[in-house]
Amino acid sequence: MNSFPMEWYFTALMMFVGFYCMLASRSIVRQLIGLEIISKGAMLALLSAGALANNLVFAQALVLTLIVIEVVVVGAGLALLVKNFRVNGTTDIWKLDSLKG
Amino acid sequence: MTNDYRTLLYALAVFFSLWAVISRKLLISAIMLALVSVLVSLIFFDFGAPWAGVFELSVCAGLITVLFVSAVSLIRAEEEKHPESRARFYALPLAAAIFAIAGWFYLPQFFAEIAGWTRPSTGGGTIGLALWDMRRPDLLGQVLMLAAGVFVIKSIFPRRSEK
Repeated sequence: MNSFPMEWYFTALMMFVGFYCMLASRSIVRQLIGLEIISKGAMLALLSAGALANNLVFAQALVLTLIVIEVVVVGAGLALLVKNFRVNGTTDIWKLDSLKG
Repeated sequence: MTNDYRTLLYALAVFFSLWAVISRKLLISAIMLALVSVLVSLIFFDFGAPWAGVFELSVCAGLITVLFVSAVSLIRAEEEKHPESRARFYALPLAAAIFAIAGWFYLPQFFAEIAGWTRPSTGGGTIGLALWDMRRPDLLGQVLMLAAGVFVIKSIFPRRSEK
């Protein structure tokens, strides 16, 4: 039996957890953790679809691109976190607009 | 056998991602996220995608975890003094259970229908051919992305002028 529907079912659950984390928290660290979980779900969905279409090579190339983008986004996000913490003494994402200018 | 093993890995990845979100301490969240990365890379290996697995294991479970742990260690004392309200996070297992039970009746059939639309390819080529030849514009995009990341960090932390 093809396991694709079950794989995507678990992927959907994982993405739900990530979206919930991003919606429920105002801490930048938790926002980034939610983003990481969502991007892992996206990677699993890509690779699962690649395996289904017998095209794992392209799926792997896309996953590698996604990993690089994820690292850059997390690095920039954590840099913003440290700057926000130094300026405002908090990790609240709503205080980020005080960094402008 | 393989499908059972893979389903177990998927279930564990979902469980640890739940734990990462629910956990009160940010350090435990970062460690649980690293465990999710390890499980995802095991799933990649099980799919027969070793390149993606190696990158996931080294970059996501290694580098990103180090970044998270170092950032959390900078802010931990302040976070523990003024913790966020945890009520919404404690509701997550209930919300996830409702989503899982409701989705169980609709999602697998929907995904099975999607699977029917697949157009199988021949699956030829190697990862080197795909990366360096067929998807060359992606590589250019990755280089630009890395340069943008360096530029962002450079502009967030400007050099202090000596007065």
